[in-house]
Amino acid sequence: MSSQPNVLEKVFAFVDERVGLKTLQAKMLNEPVPGGSRWAYVFGSCLLFIFIMQAVTGILLMFYYVPSADHAYASTQYIIHEVDYGWFLLSYHFWGSSAMVVMVFAHMSQVFLWGAYKKPREMIWLVGLALFGIVMAFGFTGYLLPWDQRAYWATTVGVEIMDKTPIVGDFMARFLKGGATPGQMTLSRFFVIHVMILPATLMGLAGLHIFLFRKAGPAGPFRGTPNELKAKTDYFFPRQIWKDMVAMGAVFATICSLAFIEPVVLLEEATPDPGEYHPEPEWYFLFLFQLLRLKIFSGEFGQFLGAIAIPGAFMALLAALPFIDRSPERNIFKRPVALVGWLIVMIGILIFTVSAIINREFLD
Amino acid sequence: MTDQPQQMSAVKLGLAVAWPAFWTGAPIKIALALLLLAMGVHPWESTGLALLILFSIPVDIWAVGLSARTVLVERLSVEPPASLGVTLWWQGAVLYATYGSLACFLERQTIAGSKAVAAAILDMEQLKGIPIAERISIELTMWGSVSAVVLLALTLGGLYLFGKLVQRQARAGTPMAASFEARVHQWDLMRVPADQPLMLTVVAGVGVTMVLLLWAAMPVTTPHPHELYQKNEKAEPALPPTEALEKAEDVLSQAEASVQALEEKAKKEKKGKGKSPAPDKKPAVKEKKA
Repeated sequence: MSSQPNVLEKVFAFVDERVGLKTLQAKMLNEPVPGGSRWAYVFGSCLLFIFIMQAVTGILLMFYYVPSADHAYASTQYIIHEVDYGWFLLSYHFWGSSAMVVMVFAHMSQVFLWGAYKKPREMIWLVGLALFGIVMAFGFTGYLLPWDQRAYWATTVGVEIMDKTPIVGDFMARFLKGGATPGQMTLSRFFVIHVMILPATLMGLAGLHIFLFRKAGPAGPFRGTPNELKAKTDYFFPRQIWKDMVAMGAVFATICSLAFIEPVVLLEEATPDPGEYHPEPEWYFLFLFQLLRLKIFSGEFGQFLGAIAIPGAFMALLAALPFIDRSPERNIFKRPVALVGWLIVMIGILIFTVSAIINREFLD
Repeated sequence: MTDQPQQMSAVKLGLAVAWPAFWTGAPIKIALALLLLAMGVHPWESTGLALLILFSIPVDIWAVGLSARTVLVERLSVEPPASLGVTLWWQGAVLYATYGSLACFLERQTIAGSKAVAAAILDMEQLKGIPIAERISIELTMWGSVSAVVLLALTLGGLYLFGKLVQRQARAGTPMAASFEARVHQWDLMRVPADQPLMLTVVAGVGVTMVLLLWAAMPVTTPHPHELYQKNEKAEPALPPTEALEKAEDVLSQAEASVQALEEKAKKEKKGKGKSPAPDKKPAVKEKKA
């Protein structure tokens, strides 16, 4: 047998000498995972996977989509009806955005319940919160692009809610709309934000998030003696990577299945007259929409309270969480306030989302 | 973590096996469901459902076996008995068919009953003034809480019974004397495939085949066309170049003939009307007012 390196090995050695591939590979794959790999740790990787798939499908859709008020609807219909597999790409992109929101909630819940936001991981948590905001902004700006009645009126309602923010609300609403009613300027601005500003920001922040995570290292499980954790500690490769890959496959298959079961079907083209259509935001904002229907949140002040003050205070509380909760205890069963708080928020979101769906029957 | 079978509650044991087993099998079942969907077969209807159930049997046997072995070796320090997956699967299937059916019936009755009670309470005269949005949420919370508590109790009951089945299997196994670290290491080695490149090749091959099958089975155009969308089925055929040239030549020759005829006519008129006034001395024609 010859000990001479083959062409591939020579190319690898050439690049390695200049880039340090072996060091990079060792750094990326040999990360110790305290307590060993777990299915609970797959959400972050799945989020990255969904984002990459959203970018790929989004670029393919942009080959055909025309971001003008005259052609947005027609070009979206063209994608659905004329472009080969266009209906699937659009439906995958649509359901991918919902999957991203679900995965963000799952990832944040896991970090919260595991107490992984505590010292020295405060900055990872803060950057994660910013990423959560960006994912929500992706959903909001992307919703307008098909330019049908659903898109037009959901955006109108969303911008009106934004308008209620003190000091900056009026500016933000006028900046986003670019006129008295949603039109070409709104579409152009939402398109640019959706395909340029948000992806660039997300990539930067996601890079920072991963860097900070690797710097601090994984928090590991909140239970188990040091000996038990040591016995089960493993490297990132191969077990955690395997789990991540299986989870990504499951996420991909689920999004594809949803695209088959419920593909995107547009309503009529956007007009400034809602007709018989009842404006409604995307499902992940429904709980907030239903909250604003309560009598306690009626009137100018009530709407401000429900749409801006309470969600704003909640987000501020989440941001301050690592600095308020300074106890090193990470076991969720020994943090009753955190556990009960998480349950109340989740059950509240569930109740108001289902209420909004039931409420549809009473609108006609 | 050197619990003996009797030291771990049946509910905990049932959950420790059932939860990972569900998630171990789920990705494979989802992949099959996706293929069926791509082929236009609904996995929750007749043929699709039958296929999915049939396919799920070996997957579940493998998943339950794998999860149960992990729990028995790592947490209960027991050498698992042979055919653990098959035994737990058929016993679990019988449990699901009997207890599961009963639990579904009870839960359905609870939902119907609690919905009726919640509606009756909110229909009381004193509560009739509650606005619709508030009423919906209060009603949902009322019947949802009762249904959730019953569902939780039924789930715990199911886990207890399944945990008892696992306990029986744990008692049938032989106790292991090795330390926790040694057991973890041993179980890790047992799960590493003997021929890793072959395993990777098979996994990659299955993945590629699945993706190819998906793309081959997927409809090219939307299976749900918009009712108002006019699909441009018959595009205007392009004019063949030779035909276009012939047509142009015909037009040109016709034009040439027309010009020649006009010139000849003009010459004849000139000869016949030698005394007629010059064209520039013709009387001016009155322009029509717009």
